[in-house]
Amino acid sequence: MDGIHDIGGKQGYGPIAVDEPEVPFHHDWEAREWGISRTARVPGINIDWWRHCRELIMPEDYLSRPYFDSWAQTDFATYINAGLISLEEIISGEVTSDQFKNDVSPPVLTCDQAIQKDHDSARRFDTEVESDPLFTIGQKVVTSSHGHSHHTRLPQYARGRCGTVHDYHGAHVFPDLSSQGEKTWQHLYSIVFEGTELWAEDGGRNSRVYLDLWESYLEAE
Amino acid sequence: MPEFDSRKVARIHEHLHSHLPSDSALRIKALETLLVEKQLVDSRTIDAWIEAYTEEIGPKRGAKVVARAWTDPDFKHRLMADAPAAIDELGYLGSATAHLKVVENTNNIHNLVVCTLCSCYPFSILGVAPAWYKAAAYRSRAVRDPHGVLAEFGVNLDDNFEIRVWDSTAELRYLVLPQRPAGSKEMNEEELAGLVTRNSMIGTDRDLSADAGSKK
Repeated sequence: MDGIHDIGGKQGYGPIAVDEPEVPFHHDWEAREWGISRTARVPGINIDWWRHCRELIMPEDYLSRPYFDSWAQTDFATYINAGLISLEEIISGEVTSDQFKNDVSPPVLTCDQAIQKDHDSARRFDTEVESDPLFTIGQKVVTSSHGHSHHTRLPQYARGRCGTVHDYHGAHVFPDLSSQGEKTWQHLYSIVFEGTELWAEDGGRNSRVYLDLWESYLEAE
Repeated sequence: MPEFDSRKVARIHEHLHSHLPSDSALRIKALETLLVEKQLVDSRTIDAWIEAYTEEIGPKRGAKVVARAWTDPDFKHRLMADAPAAIDELGYLGSATAHLKVVENTNNIHNLVVCTLCSCYPFSILGVAPAWYKAAAYRSRAVRDPHGVLAEFGVNLDDNFEIRVWDSTAELRYLVLPQRPAGSKEMNEEELAGLVTRNSMIGTDRDLSADAGSKK
């Protein structure tokens, strides 16, 4: 999706807030949303669909609302979409009797249990597949010129560009289909692009950009 | 499959745009209240997660990994080869680090990590990402003007440096292994960990010598 989220290389967003105090949360509500995100997203939701639902936030909201606020809005949207919360409930702030309500009390975790749960949440996205990878390390490749209107992880700034296979990561869940409810795997590569291939003004500046890209985003050069 | 209907969710966002209160605190309060009333979460569990990511899970974990890599060559070798297994020796494997990769700074290579498409970050070793990492200014410029971004953080590199920018487009997450500062030979692992800044593990800080802070 050529949405507002695909921001790499865009210009005009001003200076970086480098003096931000180094604390995990700057407001209590940020902490609450972080806690919600660790434990109370729509049961069974996959990360690619959740990310896509965040990309679907109206551009003016995406750019102007605080970061954790956009997580909360994505949580609202995914809960409404899953039929677990209604818009009416959100507007009124009250659970209406004919809407979903869990039959059992949710678990109560201690801090130590949350730390253990974080450890146990390490999740791999790769698997063994029968096909061999099409590309080899060191090979020149070119990326797709076009995106599509669903979720994808090939940013606009790296489309139609020549790069080199830097590394191979195995076959990973393919987000473009996972975000549409279809779990498939594709070979995933680290592709390195010279700064001069991506940006006209880079000139002799010695920079390279590495992206992790799925096989169907790539063709042999 | 209605549950994966992009147009439906776009319409939901339009409704939310019109109906949610403007104040962020009120929005998140409304979300938590409904989730609690529907028995989808207990507020004490939210408290526990906040405490976990305030007291334990944060950049001090990453700093310990870096300090160990500086002092134990075998550990560094394992870290570069299989970072998830190496950090789990310290119990630090967790959220968003099952596909961790460590990239090493040298005398002429500097690494910088970004997520241009969202805000991917190795939570279980660096904790909650700083707001600037998730903001448009950093995400847009890190890939296009890394020299300028680094200069804004007080890291001035001449053109002899190769800057490697890692855009986290898949489920891999990146941790920069900064260089051990000069003059730290006598320091033990714990003292060394105290020199490692969060930003140095993202790549927006470089010189970790004890007097570097005053130069910036």
